[in-house]
Amino acid sequence: MKRMKRKQDSGHIDSFYHLAQAGETEQFCRGTACFVARHLNPGRWSAAVSREQHTYCLGNCFAAPASSIDIGRPRMTTLSREPIVLGPIIDGPISSLAASTARGGYRALDQALGRPRAELVSAVELSELRGRGGAGFPTGKKWRAVAEQKGSEKFVVANADEGDPGAYIDRFLLENDPHRLIEAMAIAGYAVGAAKGYIYLRKEYPHARVALQHALGEARREGFLGERVVRRDFSFDVEMIVGQGSYICGEETALLNSIEGHRPEVRLRPPYPSESGLFVKPTLISNVETLANIPWIAGNGGEAFRRLGFSNSRGSKVLSLNSLFRDPGLYEVDFGVTIRHIVEDLGGGLKTGTPEGVIIGGPLAGIIPPRLFDTPLGFEEVAKIGASVGHGGVIAFDEHTPIAELVHHVFDFGAFESCGKCTPCRLGSRRIERLFRQILETGHVPAHEKKESMEIVSALAMTSLCGLGTGLADFAQSALRHYAEELEPCFS
Amino acid sequence: MLQLTINGQPHQFHETLSILQVLRSLQIEIPALCYDERMKPFGGCRLCVVRVNGGARPVIACDTQATDGMTIDTHTPELEEWRRSLLRLLAQQYPGEDLRRFPDKEFHRFIRAYGLETECLGRTAPALVDETNPYIRVDMSRCIYCYRCVRICDEVQGQFVWQIWNRGDATRIRPDTGTTLRESSCVSCGACVDTCPTGALEDKSVLSLGHAINWTRTTCAYCGTGCEMNVGTCDGRIVTIKPVPDAPVSRGHLCVKGRYAFDFVHADDRVTQPMIRVAGAWKRVAWDEAISFTADSLSRIIKQHGTDSVGVLGSARATNEENYLAQKFARTVLGTNNVDCCARVCHAPTAAAMKSMLGAGAATNSFDDIELATTILVCGANATENHPIVGARIKQAALHGAQLIVIDPRKIELTNYAALHLQLRPGTNVPLLNAMACTVVEEELCDERFLKERVTGFEEFRQFIQAWPADRAARLCGVEEQQIREAARIYASGGPAMCVHGLGLTEHSQGTEGVMCLVNLALLTGNIGRRGAGINPLRGQNNVQGAVHMGCDPDFLTGSVSLKEGRDLFSSVWQTALPAEKGLDLLGMMDAAEDGKFKALWAIGYDILLTNANTNSTRRALERMELVIVQDMFLNETAREFGNVFLPAASSFEKDGTFMNAERRIQRVRKAINPVGASRSDWEIICDVARTMGKGNLFDFSSADEIWNEIRSLWKAGAGISYERLEYGGLQWPCPSEDHPGTEVLHTEAFSIGKRASLCGIEYRATAEVADGDYPFTLITGRTLYQFNAGTMTSRTGNTLLRPEDCLDISAQDAKRLGLSDGQRVRMRSRYGEAILPIKIQDSVQPGDLFATFQTPRVFLNYVTSPHRDKVVSTPEYKVTAVRLETVQEPR
Repeated sequence: MKRMKRKQDSGHIDSFYHLAQAGETEQFCRGTACFVARHLNPGRWSAAVSREQHTYCLGNCFAAPASSIDIGRPRMTTLSREPIVLGPIIDGPISSLAASTARGGYRALDQALGRPRAELVSAVELSELRGRGGAGFPTGKKWRAVAEQKGSEKFVVANADEGDPGAYIDRFLLENDPHRLIEAMAIAGYAVGAAKGYIYLRKEYPHARVALQHALGEARREGFLGERVVRRDFSFDVEMIVGQGSYICGEETALLNSIEGHRPEVRLRPPYPSESGLFVKPTLISNVETLANIPWIAGNGGEAFRRLGFSNSRGSKVLSLNSLFRDPGLYEVDFGVTIRHIVEDLGGGLKTGTPEGVIIGGPLAGIIPPRLFDTPLGFEEVAKIGASVGHGGVIAFDEHTPIAELVHHVFDFGAFESCGKCTPCRLGSRRIERLFRQILETGHVPAHEKKESMEIVSALAMTSLCGLGTGLADFAQSALRHYAEELEPCFS
Repeated sequence: MLQLTINGQPHQFHETLSILQVLRSLQIEIPALCYDERMKPFGGCRLCVVRVNGGARPVIACDTQATDGMTIDTHTPELEEWRRSLLRLLAQQYPGEDLRRFPDKEFHRFIRAYGLETECLGRTAPALVDETNPYIRVDMSRCIYCYRCVRICDEVQGQFVWQIWNRGDATRIRPDTGTTLRESSCVSCGACVDTCPTGALEDKSVLSLGHAINWTRTTCAYCGTGCEMNVGTCDGRIVTIKPVPDAPVSRGHLCVKGRYAFDFVHADDRVTQPMIRVAGAWKRVAWDEAISFTADSLSRIIKQHGTDSVGVLGSARATNEENYLAQKFARTVLGTNNVDCCARVCHAPTAAAMKSMLGAGAATNSFDDIELATTILVCGANATENHPIVGARIKQAALHGAQLIVIDPRKIELTNYAALHLQLRPGTNVPLLNAMACTVVEEELCDERFLKERVTGFEEFRQFIQAWPADRAARLCGVEEQQIREAARIYASGGPAMCVHGLGLTEHSQGTEGVMCLVNLALLTGNIGRRGAGINPLRGQNNVQGAVHMGCDPDFLTGSVSLKEGRDLFSSVWQTALPAEKGLDLLGMMDAAEDGKFKALWAIGYDILLTNANTNSTRRALERMELVIVQDMFLNETAREFGNVFLPAASSFEKDGTFMNAERRIQRVRKAINPVGASRSDWEIICDVARTMGKGNLFDFSSADEIWNEIRSLWKAGAGISYERLEYGGLQWPCPSEDHPGTEVLHTEAFSIGKRASLCGIEYRATAEVADGDYPFTLITGRTLYQFNAGTMTSRTGNTLLRPEDCLDISAQDAKRLGLSDGQRVRMRSRYGEAILPIKIQDSVQPGDLFATFQTPRVFLNYVTSPHRDKVVSTPEYKVTAVRLETVQEPR
């Protein structure tokens, strides 16, 4: 298929995004981490929900309820056998190219460019690294698929649209070590045969934008980007695209549409981006944390990485703990630790009550009730209990948050962020939100509504086009399963 | 082969199909509200979920390919429950009152099928209703967001009118301006209405006239594209027209004219009773009297002035059968070769050029080659307005990567999609095309093998063309030298290149030679006789190709056989010696009339007074005739001023027959309603006059089919095309026998004139019509989307709201210089006459050029156009007239 040209005028496209017109004024967050911590600062929370402009997650979940005022870095702790992801920044941000290279930045790239491309693809395959953005797809498979595509034009895209409320891992990787992302993208570009990369950054991360802009300029100046990268026969450049406010743009195909200037709706798959992605070209798309592992893998080998972690989840994972924990912050752990370990040992328990449940990987996933806290952290293991490792944002909530309120909050978020392309998500998410709004306002709804809402949730789960709809359904089903006692009186 | 198990039953398939296509072919119905064969699968409604191989998650049938061994379940209780849930969500927002009113809407059918009628509790939101378009009612409170309107507008029409605003449940579909459809870039093709599964978009005609009870498949009577359409009727009235999904040319699409401009059929001023002018006033008479009067008058004039004092003009709007009879009438009843048709004023140069160089005066290829071409060269053809379905297909081809080169003095819509636009000075086609040929030769871009095997005269041509380097043409044409070279390179290299041309190439004093230059280019580069290539004139009227091909030409008989070649065969079948004298063409008739030698004209479906160039001379000619017989649906300008007899003709909706489109395709015209009033089909009228003149034995026909069979007996290349075969779709000639499939591409092995065609060096002879200090502007005339030619039909439809009158397109720069404001009326004066019309500031015309249509009798633009004609076939030079503009004192 050849590249499509379209008449471009952007009024209708702009109307898709909720921050297209937003300026630099202080924003108040109404994301899930802030919602469950609303009792910590009721004034700020009411400021957030009374604003016409919706802001979901500013990546300040460690200080929720939060505004966009800079509150510095969260506490960072590495507990994994190898501090691959957080290690370089644990002592502070790497604020210049010189600081980066002093810490070994770009060494992996320099070495990689002297090696056969196939060796790098094999290393990533061997590492068994899986995507850290939510789906956990094997990264090596993507590399292989893109590398094997014919054609001279390919792209590498870094998904820096960390929209899941509760996750602020990528935010600090971008702000504190932007060169690692650039280095990783260049290695990936070399390995798969791409000469152009895009970073799609969410608008809610202005500091990351500044850091990246600065780093891109430095990297170009010093020959780490551009023609003949580190004087080798390889050209690669990176362009940053800043989003305009839309959670769905974190979905890879919607993100590609957004970069192309189209309405960011989810595309049908197949074809997958590795075959036909950005501008219909083969495209490698990975999230920031995934890419942050690449220089280490390129430098230490796939086998070294594979030795870390457990089960089918290899390497380390960074988790971001919300403000209700006594010790919120970023933790790099080996896969295999239990949820209980995360909640009790790392987080130190909750500040204002006992945990009623945790959500890992954003609100569009199942809730993990305390009785399942002994589940080990692993893609399959967590999926088995109807939840998800997702992005690694860990939101615990306590008795200050009745489950019906949480359901309403999540469906309000889902309905607001639905792209509208598919029927179940466009109408079903809002239908459930309305139902729970009625429950919150009047205490309950007629019993027959339960049957209809169960049917809607079932349709949402089985017929939705993308993970937004199915994730909402996962959430709702887990709420109904694990909190039936609390929810039953709502339908009478 | 695919082995599938569907709902427990085994099935076999031989082609690659989606699951939904498989289910539809088996008539297993599942809702698929965002699906339409004309567009890519979208996967938005999620209703077509099916279970494959018992998998945990269902898949959508529209976007899942059926593969060998699949087990598909379509109606499990779970699938049905999901569908019902989704339909209920849609229903809850939907106003229920339409369910009974429009039971056949796709969405309404499924609402009923799933028992959700009582759930439709939505209300009409007045803010979402838009009635501004004359044909389309918009009510987005009935929208279910399947985006079919958006996608058909993008993927079929290429107009990008409907756009999606906001997101989630706040999503709204609005036109591109964000306001009304009328203010938007909508071209009223109606594709969105056709695909809409709900009552969100509806034809106003259906709302006011009711549902169609009967449907008749027929062929459009506007341009020469040959779109098929389904005519919906109720109580003898056309209530709607819909595209035909499996039509080979239009592929389920129509334009505003074919889709909506049918109201003329029932217009109040349609003349449905024969009339004779008595003492200056029209008098209604019975058919017998009108026929007798016509026959007697013709006989009298022939007796008095000789057989060559009379002539007939066939009609490009009428059927092949009728045009065949018109020329047969001229040659056997009147005894003259004075017969012609409006091809004279449009593509006669094409026919002459192509016949002389290649042996056949018709398109070498088919519209299906548009999608096969790597490069499309559009020369002097504003396809998106004048052949909108072809234009839409070209746009889509360009959007999918075909390189488009546009040669046109105006910035037409296609230039937006073009790799190159050569915006030449009007009248300079020959130097431009010569220079492209020169570049091809100079840069050794010729197809050597093709030259060797299929072409003669290369050496002489090479010598000749050296005189036409790009820089020389650049000066004459006002186009950059590099652009000319680049165009030649794109055309000559990288795959099949297709030429599409229109009247911008032919209506010039060097029209025939312009087409010959284009043929040279195709011959040099081997772009002829293969798919995705060729020389393809876009014929202006539904059956202009057919009218000439049936013999409405003074020099050619049916099947484009010369008088000399065909004399024996035709004399024997017609049992009449063919007239010996060379006939007069239309312009010849006019000249002879001015000289007092031509006395009687029978003009069938052709308003020569309004449309001939240089109206003053047409007037003088008509004034001096003794008899003007006008056969038409309306009292056109020719009839109004000069008619002696008016014979009311049936429209193409009211009769049977065939049309021949621009790609040589014969398609059926079928009667959808009875002739309105006492009007009769053209062929019946001709037969009656012939009978009255004593030649009943030669005109003893009782159906169009019978006439067609006589045509087939005379026309070898059409011998295999029977009405019976045409029931299953059109056929392209040559089709010499009934087992012949028809011919999509001509000249594949050899040209009709032999194995090789000869290149032809064409010297440039500039037009005598030169802009100067007194007449500084160059006027180009042409058509627009909404008004067809003389406007006889379209001016009696809602199209008049979309384009009310002729106006004069002028560049902002010229308007400013002359102190003219948009809409201001000006007097346009040429060396030959004048017309008054409002100006319209348009960036499509370059400074120094003007553009106007000639649809409005009140403006009568052809008073301005010149007497210059093509040197070979006399086609008037409509495209170049030197004019000046004067301000008009508006009456207070």
